Amino acid sequence: MAPGTSDTGAAGGQGAGAPSDSRTRHTRLIIETEEGTKTMKTIVSVKSLNKRYELGKDNYVDALRGATVNIGSGEMVAIMGPSGCGKSTMLHMMGCLDTPDSGEIWLNGRRVDDLSTRATTKLLREEIGFIFQGFNLVSTMTALDNVALAAQYAGKSRRESQTMAREALEAVGLAERAAHRPSELSGGQQQRVAIARALVNKPAVIMGDEPTGNLDTASSAEVIDMMREINLLTGTTFILVTHDPDVAAACDRVIHMRDGVVTDDTSRLVAAAARDAERDLERVA
Amino acid sequence: MRMFRNVFRRKMRAFLTIFGITIGVFALVVMGSMAEKINLLIDGGTRYYSDKVVVTDGSAGTAGFTMTPIGVGRVAEVESVPGVARATAGIWMLLDENGGMSMGVPQGIVGNDMRAIDLESFKLTMKEGRDLTTADRGVAVVGCDIAKALNAKVGGTIDLRGKPFKVVGIYEKTLTAPDNTVAVSLYDAQQLMYAQLPDIIQKQIDPNQLATSITAYPQPGVDADQLAATIEGTLPNVTASGPQVFVDQFKSMTKIFNSIIFGVALISLLVGGLSVVNTMTMSVLERTREIGIRKAIGASHRQIVGQFLGESAFIGFLGGATGLLLGYVVSIVANMLMESSGTVLFLTTPRLAIGAVAFAIVLGVASGFYPSFHAARLKPVLALRYE
Ligand SMILES: Nc1ncnc2c1ncn2[C@@H]1O[C@H](COP(=O)(O)OP(=O)(O)O)[C@@H](O)[C@H]1O
Ligand SMILES: [Mg+2]
Repeated sequence: MAPGTSDTGAAGGQGAGAPSDSRTRHTRLIIETEEGTKTMKTIVSVKSLNKRYELGKDNYVDALRGATVNIGSGEMVAIMGPSGCGKSTMLHMMGCLDTPDSGEIWLNGRRVDDLSTRATTKLLREEIGFIFQGFNLVSTMTALDNVALAAQYAGKSRRESQTMAREALEAVGLAERAAHRPSELSGGQQQRVAIARALVNKPAVIMGDEPTGNLDTASSAEVIDMMREINLLTGTTFILVTHDPDVAAACDRVIHMRDGVVTDDTSRLVAAAARDAERDLERVA
Repeated sequence: MRMFRNVFRRKMRAFLTIFGITIGVFALVVMGSMAEKINLLIDGGTRYYSDKVVVTDGSAGTAGFTMTPIGVGRVAEVESVPGVARATAGIWMLLDENGGMSMGVPQGIVGNDMRAIDLESFKLTMKEGRDLTTADRGVAVVGCDIAKALNAKVGGTIDLRGKPFKVVGIYEKTLTAPDNTVAVSLYDAQQLMYAQLPDIIQKQIDPNQLATSITAYPQPGVDADQLAATIEGTLPNVTASGPQVFVDQFKSMTKIFNSIIFGVALISLLVGGLSVVNTMTMSVLERTREIGIRKAIGASHRQIVGQFLGESAFIGFLGGATGLLLGYVVSIVANMLMESSGTVLFLTTPRLAIGAVAFAIVLGVASGFYPSFHAARLKPVLALRYE
């Protein structure tokens, strides 16, 4: 079948007389699926990323060898592939936690692969949220404080942060656990706190690296539902590196990687209204 | 509270680090309290001598209290020197004839003819009872520290070199020499001193002529140091010491104590500081992942540095506060134990207390700098991969 993503140079800011800036560019993404063609704004665009890790003299790993992928605003996509194929590396670069040796990364219409530390921090505060396999909550803080921390870093007052954190915890159904510390929560609950933390500043994209990797089936389902729900309700883009077929099944699209390149992405359209029915559909190979 | 939990993640290590600073600050507070007491004594002494010239017998050679008597008759001689407003004869002798060891100011008996009491700028006030008059006989007014040592009470009797004296007053605390001095009339002091002299000397001396020093008060506008030079130049066989002589003498004392404090501070800086560096570095290493998370959720360089500096300042503060408390308690207990001997050795002043805690906090912050910047520079992705 036709895989598919393709770029158009169209979209806002590119008309005649509009300022042309090599660091901003808005594109549209057309995704062809079995159900038809869907057009959306590109939120993350990765072009020919290369990354080599030097391990020693004449000893290196090419984690990425020209990986290219585009992700549309509001999509929920899974990135799959064998261990060591460069999924985490690419995700970290999309999220500005790491920088490529060459290639381009565009986020929300802006070039972000070579930003200053300060600009990166701003981006991490405002536009990107992260979820990790190991939950990565600060163990000495309560659930509420963990979530509020992200808002506080983003410059909100203590009070405002707490209010925002409470709302985010409510959104993941953990309002009554706000005062608990991570050690007092189940894995699934911890991951939901992490989702609340990723969500609290209302980012455009939430990136997850094996978000269900440490969870049992029931907790996984809970977390997957949660992410899907947030994705559909808020239009937040989710990019999830995963080995978990259940995660992939819940996603609109699965991107496959091997040996540092994107080999295939299978697109699928999910209608908001038909979310639950959709999950039961056979995933297109 | 969060800071508390972060610092006490590794309880044993946190306690040891804080303990290291505690020891340093404790030493600093104890030594400092001693130095503060001495500084106050010296300060009082410097103030006392600031506007007068002490004239002693020339053969003694040194300034201050000397046992070689100078004749009371020479008061008129001193007063005749141009620039001298008035002169007064006095006796100072050790309370205990055998000397006796004591820290700070030695305990003494003083007698003065009170001819210049109106010119004296160093005023003593009464805590209890009344002051002396020249006509008093067998009567003493006691400094507040020595009062405790002698168990003296107004209306009671004390023994001075084997003679009973009735206590009629106790002076208010001055934190300097008078606290350790018993004042009697010049006549009584002369009699006490005379009684101590060997027979042969007694035969040659009129007790009413006995004085250990003559104090000259300059006329308004006359410089006391210059007057001292004039007196030495005019009168034969006298040593005249102006304020500068005492300042110089005291300065060398202060210097010694200040270098001791400086030394203690330096040692605690090294010991405490290194242990904070060690603790914070360990803490940063252990929390590499946490730092990565914080950066991934938007912490800036500054916010990370701030967090870790805050924690090391907190360690410094805890160590400083406990050290201060410990030092203060020890000083108070030591003062209480030595109260009966009239020695007040420690004085924990507010500036010392604030200084010691501030020092500990600065120490914490300074030692936290390297680990904090190290933490902030970690690349989030490396921190997150770190297991
Ligand atoms: N910091 C690093 N130093 C050296 N090699 C690394 C580092 N990070 C990743 N790698 C290597 O790069 C390759 C891709 O890693 P990664 O992106 O984590 O793979 P995946 O997430 O797909 O399992 C692997 O071979 C891994 O060992
Ligand atoms: Mg990985």
